[in-house]
Amino acid sequence: MQSATPPNITQLLIAWNQGDQDALEQLTPLVYRELHRLAHRYLAGERQGHMLQTTALVNEAFVRLIDWQGVEWQDRAHFFGVSAILMRHILVQFARERQAAKREGLHVSLSAAAGIGTQHDPDLVALDDALITLEKLDPRQARIVELRFFGGLSLEEAAEVVRVSVSTVRRDWRMAQAWLHQQLNAAT
Amino acid sequence: MTPERYQRLGQLFGAALELAPDQRPAFLDQVCGRAAGDDEGLRAAVEKLLASHLASETFLGRSAIDVAAALFAQNQASLLGQTVSHYQILSLLGAGGMGEVYLAEDTQLKRRVALKILHAELTNQREPLQRFEQEARAASALNHPNILTIYEIGETNGLQFIATEYVGGETLRDRLQSAPLPISETLDITMQVVAALEAAHQAGFVHRDVKPENVIVRQDGLAKLVDFGIAKLTERRLEDLEAEGATRTLIKTSPGTVLGTVAYMPPEQVRGQTVDARTDEWSLGAMLYEMLTGRLPFTGNTVNDTIAAILKTEPEPPTSFNSEIPAELERIVLKTLRKNPEERYQHSKSLLIDLRDLKEDLDFGAKLKRTRTQDNVEVLLASEQATGAQLPQMNAPNLIHTTSSAEYFVSEIKQHRRGVLLVLTILLLTIGAAYLGYYRYFRAASGSPIDSIAVVPFVNQSGDAAVEYLQDGLTDSLIISLSRLPQLRVMARSTVFRYKGREIDPQTVGRELGVRTVLTGRILQRGDTLLVSAELVNVADGTQLWGEQYSRPTADLLAVQQQIVREISSHLQFRLSGAQQRQLNKGGTSDNEAYRLYLSARYSWNKRTADDINRSIEQFQQAIDRDPNYALAYVGLADCYLVQGTYAGTPTTEVMPKAEAALEQALRLDETISEAHATKGFVHIYSLEWDQAEKEFQRAIALNPNYATAHHWYSEYFRIRRRFSEQAREIKRAQELDPLSPSMGANLGRAYLNLGDTDAAIRECKRALELNPKFSLAHHFLGLTYVEQHRYDEAIAEFQQAVDSSKRADLFVAGLGVGYAAAGRRAEALTMIRELEEKYSKKEATGFDLALVYAALANDDEAIAWLEKDFAGHNMSGLIYVASTIIHPRLRNDPRYQDLLQRMHLKL
Repeated sequence: MQSATPPNITQLLIAWNQGDQDALEQLTPLVYRELHRLAHRYLAGERQGHMLQTTALVNEAFVRLIDWQGVEWQDRAHFFGVSAILMRHILVQFARERQAAKREGLHVSLSAAAGIGTQHDPDLVALDDALITLEKLDPRQARIVELRFFGGLSLEEAAEVVRVSVSTVRRDWRMAQAWLHQQLNAAT
Repeated sequence: MTPERYQRLGQLFGAALELAPDQRPAFLDQVCGRAAGDDEGLRAAVEKLLASHLASETFLGRSAIDVAAALFAQNQASLLGQTVSHYQILSLLGAGGMGEVYLAEDTQLKRRVALKILHAELTNQREPLQRFEQEARAASALNHPNILTIYEIGETNGLQFIATEYVGGETLRDRLQSAPLPISETLDITMQVVAALEAAHQAGFVHRDVKPENVIVRQDGLAKLVDFGIAKLTERRLEDLEAEGATRTLIKTSPGTVLGTVAYMPPEQVRGQTVDARTDEWSLGAMLYEMLTGRLPFTGNTVNDTIAAILKTEPEPPTSFNSEIPAELERIVLKTLRKNPEERYQHSKSLLIDLRDLKEDLDFGAKLKRTRTQDNVEVLLASEQATGAQLPQMNAPNLIHTTSSAEYFVSEIKQHRRGVLLVLTILLLTIGAAYLGYYRYFRAASGSPIDSIAVVPFVNQSGDAAVEYLQDGLTDSLIISLSRLPQLRVMARSTVFRYKGREIDPQTVGRELGVRTVLTGRILQRGDTLLVSAELVNVADGTQLWGEQYSRPTADLLAVQQQIVREISSHLQFRLSGAQQRQLNKGGTSDNEAYRLYLSARYSWNKRTADDINRSIEQFQQAIDRDPNYALAYVGLADCYLVQGTYAGTPTTEVMPKAEAALEQALRLDETISEAHATKGFVHIYSLEWDQAEKEFQRAIALNPNYATAHHWYSEYFRIRRRFSEQAREIKRAQELDPLSPSMGANLGRAYLNLGDTDAAIRECKRALELNPKFSLAHHFLGLTYVEQHRYDEAIAEFQQAVDSSKRADLFVAGLGVGYAAAGRRAEALTMIRELEEKYSKKEATGFDLALVYAALANDDEAIAWLEKDFAGHNMSGLIYVASTIIHPRLRNDPRYQDLLQRMHLKL
């Protein structure tokens, strides 16, 4: 009974960030598992109405994925940055698959799942599209949304990654939030 | 929109937000008024953004993964009420990293199962799926009462699922959260998990994920280790386990909430090194630590800190959090948590043995605490004063030694004569509280007390068949005598006699039977002289604890026996008072031939066939003829009459007076033999005197806790009264004492069937059949279990075997009738009824037998009539089971059936 050496998540993340698609295949199940864990909390009624606990979630998902025995992340900001991109990639893909599945009628109507999630949750796919537009208009704001929303970072952590002041991040976030909300509401 | 315009929009939006809402129009007038061209458009855009801002305060307030998880949860919820393969999903039981677990009903077998549905994302990956299947299938071969049984691994519409037995209970995690566990319960649960691990390790599996979330504890205390095999779905590395959702111990930290099952991982697993059985042992140790102290042995604010603690720091001694934890338990826990696997227990069996020893010590201590009376203290003190400052001698006849621990204190004190009286007084007055100290000192001073022994049949070296009765006799009487020693677990006769005539290695036998010592010996007869050699072997290291040779006239066999018992008992650290010495020879005889007849009779009785019982009656009678004061022989006779009802169909009214007369004689000769009280308990059962019956069984067990039959019959009592958990408890105890008896095994199976655990029932019955393939009762119970599972062909095959190997005893013919009826083979069922009616007329069947088959044929009128016939004739051997063997669920509501139960003082 022997367990293989753990994959070095640090290296996987870096490899993926440098365009290695195999690395993504190894990372995806890890994120999915986290997803299921959270889903269970919904089903158990534990997460109703909970607001984002900034770093908690993504830290949970990633802090424990990094290679403990290996090198410490010298550059926290870099790690958070790459994680956020990864989360966006995987989660949007996930939402896209769900939508496709729903269109094909594979799953039961939402009425069966009443009470789970909220009406105000954004459509991840539409948000991703809007973010692509925003990247062209204000790349830093788009990056901050990515870090905050997908990466789960706090204002302070996002500031550290983007290397601007916290008040700048707060202003950018406010603006992006209002604009994206408007975009998404206009679309529906 | 251009980036420049977006930036301008942002500036105005930001500036406007800094102002009070009522100042914003003026501001916008001002800034948009100064610009040329699309002023109005810009202003409108800013106003729209401001409006959006108001509405968007919570927008993106939940992280993306949370949003995605809600989507996923919707899907999961939608599975409720649906049917996957032939399982109808009833409710969600829980979820983890690999999938969700639902309570479902198997629509084919009409039983409840736990259905684990794997995450689609994982099932898309061929390799882990294959590995998972392979592992789960292999694990499903693990057959152990403390391991969750896997029924089916399947796939339907792209959903991969595993169906397992459903254990109604809560996880140990839930249990720990509701209330702190008492130490005895902690030990019970831990021992069961270790037993499960031991079975798995034997089979080459490592669980890798032992933690409170993976242990289910049923109401009756049965613990099951779950998630076997799933442990290897992916190579279970740290991060996988960490992602296991429902399973985390959340420790509130700042800034993040981290930590999880890493807390149960040993250094080698955290490092990603090879894991083996000792890995599980550590995890178990961490779990035990938590059960005892309410906290984890290694913690930190972050996963990193926790890992650092696991790798580097030593755990706080559990006693620093809970002073009630015995020192020995602390030693065990800390040993399992050694960083270096080499320093832990090398086999789970050793851990199990230590835990079991501790448990028995604790039970002993608790008993001591309860039964230690002021009287004893006074006796000791009085004798102390009488002899001035002199200590009472250990074997002083006026000193009543009731416990070995009291002896121990005395012997300790002997070594420190100064201030002895004071110390003695304090010790004895605080003896209840001192029992914890007992084993600290005891173990330190003299190693572990010996608490279990197997007497292996002595080898007949003369090759003379005539000496064989001496061979059996010596062994058996040693067993009987030793089993009367307090706090000594002695393997029952039927278990050790399997080793008869085999060249055995005492250590191997000791390990097989889970005892600390093995007594072996040889007998050689030369003319009128008997040469007996005996040796007591310590199973742990194979050393000889004691050995002796005797050369005596053959007629002195009994004296040799008694001498051996005395000498062994002194080596077992039990110093016995005169009263206890006398106790060893209770109910016995001084006539060798009577004794030989008794043993032979018991042997036949144990076989439980009509012929054997008749032979047994003859031999008991002959023993009594030789020694009319032989109390145990009278009990044996009573036992024969008692079981005639069950195994020969003889009406109770005929056998009861005979049984009662024999029993009365036995009790007149010796009121303190356990066997007699157990028998008396059963007599009360036949008289429907439930309370008295229970009292007698309790008395029997108090007199000799090692008498397996007392536990067995007590379990029957519980079965009859539908107290199934207690039934299981007692029959388990009986089986522990007599592990190789097919009767105990089959009845344990029956207990599981009553508890609704059909798989465990099948397992136990099959085990009993391994011990004796012709054991009818096991075939019969197995048949009943298959009927319960609607596996009629298999049921009929088993019933048929029961009939064949019992020479068509009534109970088993009835079983076969029930099998045919259940399978819809009416004509054949009616044939059985005719056979039973014929037997009934010859007093070889009971009305209950007939009622069973009639009820299975839905002929309730006949069924009730036959039951009433038994009741009217006071023919109880079958009828007593009328409430526990539900003749047919339909009858539950039949007022005639209910009325009968009421008259019998039974209820459903």
